[in-house]
Amino acid sequence: MQLTSSFKLNFLKQMLLGFQLSAVSSNNMSFHERKKAIKLSADAAIAFARGRTRWSQGLITNLSKNEKNKDVLKGLLGREYDELSKPCCNSWKIPRSKKILRRCLRMSSTRKMAGRAQHDVGKSILAKTLAKKRIQVLKKLVPGGESMDGFSLLDETLDYAMSLKAQVDGMRCILRTSEALNFK
Amino acid sequence: MEPPRSSGVGIDNSGEYSPEIAETLRFEEEIQSLIHPSSFDGSAAPTGGGSFTALLGLPANQAVELLHDSGAREPLASRIRVGGHPVHRPFHLPLDCSSAFPSNATLVDRAARFSVFAAEGSPASSSGRLKAEPQDSDSPPLDPIPTGPAKRKDTGRSKCDVRLSLSFKSQAKATAKKSKNAEENTDGDKLPYVHVRARRGQATDNHSLAERARREKINVRMKLLQELVPGCSKITGTALVLDEIINHVQTLQRQVEFLSMRLAAVNPRIDFSSLDSYLSAECGPVTVRNGPGGVVVDPSLWPTDATAEATRRLLVPQFWHIDLVPPQLQPQQSLTTWERDGAAHSQLLPNPTTSLFLYDPANSGNANVPHLTAKLKTAEDRALNL
Repeated sequence: MQLTSSFKLNFLKQMLLGFQLSAVSSNNMSFHERKKAIKLSADAAIAFARGRTRWSQGLITNLSKNEKNKDVLKGLLGREYDELSKPCCNSWKIPRSKKILRRCLRMSSTRKMAGRAQHDVGKSILAKTLAKKRIQVLKKLVPGGESMDGFSLLDETLDYAMSLKAQVDGMRCILRTSEALNFK
Repeated sequence: MEPPRSSGVGIDNSGEYSPEIAETLRFEEEIQSLIHPSSFDGSAAPTGGGSFTALLGLPANQAVELLHDSGAREPLASRIRVGGHPVHRPFHLPLDCSSAFPSNATLVDRAARFSVFAAEGSPASSSGRLKAEPQDSDSPPLDPIPTGPAKRKDTGRSKCDVRLSLSFKSQAKATAKKSKNAEENTDGDKLPYVHVRARRGQATDNHSLAERARREKINVRMKLLQELVPGCSKITGTALVLDEIINHVQTLQRQVEFLSMRLAAVNPRIDFSSLDSYLSAECGPVTVRNGPGGVVVDPSLWPTDATAEATRRLLVPQFWHIDLVPPQLQPQQSLTTWERDGAAHSQLLPNPTTSLFLYDPANSGNANVPHLTAKLKTAEDRALNL
């Protein structure tokens, strides 16, 4: 859908820029620090290249929670940083009250239904419980997923999975070339 | 194999079993965990069990009985389908449920149903489906007036539902048979009226309409996700598809971690600034040139053209003047080989080294350019061809 070559090149550019900003090439970082810096650059780059989606905003917000990363992020994203890190917070209050409402309605409706056809209700509730568990897992996986409802969660998952694939491929490409360069 | 997920969900990645056995095992474990919440150690299951019985509003033993019945009665295949579409089951909405509504609302509902079925073009057969529907002849004259308030009631209710954004599992459904020639118009949350046409034999009261709209939205999105995740299109059932999606996303995230580790392990002599300058230089022309074969729609074939070009530039050191040499290796070849991407590239590294050594940075001159271009190109192509 949106995996154009310009998207991927953008991602590559941003990631390399992030590498430079976090000074990955210098020798005074430990292995873990370097790995974290690389991952930070990669995540920020893919979020930046994707633009303003909810998962990218959630990702940037999560990354910004660590104070040390903020400078790198700001330098990398520039003015996009403010736009990307803001809007995740204000959607928090609403789902909570929705959850309560949902629970009340669910209980009232299931009490109504429980009188009618017991085995049907059992099956459907079982199915729903299974699906609900998986939805919860998915919410934890997708960045910023806690504050999304069912539909947008699936949309964002789709988007996020495609961007992850692009990220993996880009990193693999960089890895291959750098390893090849190393053998010179 | 991968360790169990830390979220506490009792799903194991049993890769050594065949898919169906794995699914049923998973389901059995989950159902067992639901039935015996006390015996499970995970964090999610006790709360799941507790809220499960609370959901039913029944005492715990009745709920367990219910589950035992449903678990014991069903054969294997239909249990797999439990996770998915309850719509496959022939449920008939008994019309005595309308006794919950006031009496004029029953007429309104019946008229609405009838008008909907008339729109379907098959009113006669539907009358046989709805149980207590003797007065078909009475309903048509009632049509024009009550359908107005009925529709408005429906849309008003469904607007409320939509605004509350109930999740698609929130209410227990009572659904009827799906017919094959049904058309459904559903839409997103934006329009004021939710136009949902009922299928044959399906209930048309407010809750079912809204739920059906919601379910259609979910199904559309699930189909898209199924196309994305490889090997998912054959699976039926929401829970299993969600399983696969979760698996896929987790795999990708782990791959990112692993790749960042490997990149960190690479000797930091790499001068990333040079790469960056090349990429920024090539960004425009590369995209233009990649018109015919390059816009990669399929995510599995990544940017063969774009990064093939970019990496060609990367492998060439800085003080070469490289006009955009047309690729000798046609993209089709690299397309097929790119798919067999794997860890096998390590075998090929000796090849580029031997031919890369041909290039001596000390005596590069523009005179050597064409000759060495060809050699380096073959080396790079070999490096990219896995």
